[in-house]
Amino acid sequence: MSATDIAAPDQLGSAAEPALVEAASFSTRHRPRLRLPRTVRRLGGPLLLLVVWQLVGSLGIASSQVLAPPSAVARAAWDLTASGELGANLLASLIRAGEGLAVGVPLGVLLALVAGLFRLGDDLVDSSMQILRGLPVLGLLPLVIIWFGVGELPKVALVAFGALFPVYVNTYAGIRGVDNRLVESGRAFGLGRAGLIRYVLLPGAVPGFLVGLRFALTASWLILVIAEQLNATTGIGYLMNQAQSWYRTDIIVLGLLIYGLLGLASDGVVRLLERRLLVWRHGFEG
Amino acid sequence: MTTTQAFPSVRVRNMGRSFGSNTVLSGVDLEIARGEFVALLGRSGSGKSTLLRALAGLDADYTGSVRVPARRAVVFQDPRLQPWLRVLPNVLLGLPRDARRDLGRHALREVELAGHERDWPATLSGGEAQRVALARALVREPELLLLDEPFGALDALTRIRMHALLRVLCARHTPAVLLVTHDVDEAILLADRIVVLGRDGRLGEAIPVDLAQPRQQDTAEFGALRRALLAELGVPLSVVDATMGG
Repeated sequence: MSATDIAAPDQLGSAAEPALVEAASFSTRHRPRLRLPRTVRRLGGPLLLLVVWQLVGSLGIASSQVLAPPSAVARAAWDLTASGELGANLLASLIRAGEGLAVGVPLGVLLALVAGLFRLGDDLVDSSMQILRGLPVLGLLPLVIIWFGVGELPKVALVAFGALFPVYVNTYAGIRGVDNRLVESGRAFGLGRAGLIRYVLLPGAVPGFLVGLRFALTASWLILVIAEQLNATTGIGYLMNQAQSWYRTDIIVLGLLIYGLLGLASDGVVRLLERRLLVWRHGFEG
Repeated sequence: MTTTQAFPSVRVRNMGRSFGSNTVLSGVDLEIARGEFVALLGRSGSGKSTLLRALAGLDADYTGSVRVPARRAVVFQDPRLQPWLRVLPNVLLGLPRDARRDLGRHALREVELAGHERDWPATLSGGEAQRVALARALVREPELLLLDEPFGALDALTRIRMHALLRVLCARHTPAVLLVTHDVDEAILLADRIVVLGRDGRLGEAIPVDLAQPRQQDTAEFGALRRALLAELGVPLSVVDATMGG
């Protein structure tokens, strides 16, 4: 439309009626159709994959020494569970991860508090942590073996080391990321230093801590995969390493699956924690 | 309401504040009596909030003298509730542990939020959250209530309700009030006295508002006062006449 059209409204009436178009014709209408529930459709992909995998084995495309079919993996799972081997090795791995996390996570939180809450702590701790966190954890393996030998201690130490940094970095960022306006309003209403830490800074750092915890759990399994294949006599990684000598790909795949499930389970644990600790975010209860 | 009493709740003498070479406030003198409602008008960036922050005790780097009572409370433009505390703990934040929870409940009743004690701030509307902020200020029985554009972020209808509520609460609790705003009508509606902060960082002469409450925005006196204040704020009268219809 040109400017003159707007300037002369009295001429609009005499002009031809503009062609109007139904607004809905500019986008496609959603047709109602019969739909499978989303969960069913999402299961379809993995199921298809499982079928193809089974066929690859059953049709002899790949021998079980290269990749065991799902049926063989299931049988291995059954046998190892029945003999108690799987349970004992799983427990050994869980204990290592648990011990490592029990050291690494609190230490990471503690260092984050020192660096996040105190200026001197920040100067002393943060710079060192930023340098150290660049180290690949598994690169420490030779050193850790020299220090702690080949028993449980080096494996636990590696997990602790691997868990420490993600917890530290994210908790520290959480403390530093607390909205300064909230700190100011806390101060304006009479909160002292301790009160600010208790009611503003710590709760504000919880979301960051949980992100760090999630990374720490993932890191702990990753480290165990490697650490348990070296000089171990128990654990899921040991089980897989033994299986390698006998070309038992069924047990190797089983080990991988278990690591995957452990990853999923630890994610579930963090999610549960989030629901409990971060209710305030959306206001839903538990 | 009488405006001058023997003992002022706020006494600011020759106060100044600069950020680097930028002087925001200089030679500021201000007294506010108990129960008196003073509005501080100024353009955005004129240093209004800087003065309020000094009165709130959030800024120690001023020159001159700023004397304020021990019991102060602030309502900021945004509610600034701690999102991880429910409404009642937010209201009682910073009070001694033995502070009575029923005082908090009573303050919530006063701002018409009874029954919301256990709500999370995230579930409140903007107006409700700002009322919680008001309850958090009132529960301290402040001798000085500092309001930093507290209604700036609210919709027009909510703002009208908040104005009425604030008038009632101030009449009941009689704190000295300093309202910082750039809304001329809001200042005239609420204040006993209006001071304008100029671009040079100095306060102009205080302008008393001698209109009976509740005040009507469409009266001639209101319009005259609005024009005078806008002129002092440096808005050309031609613009005022064009937008206000004379």
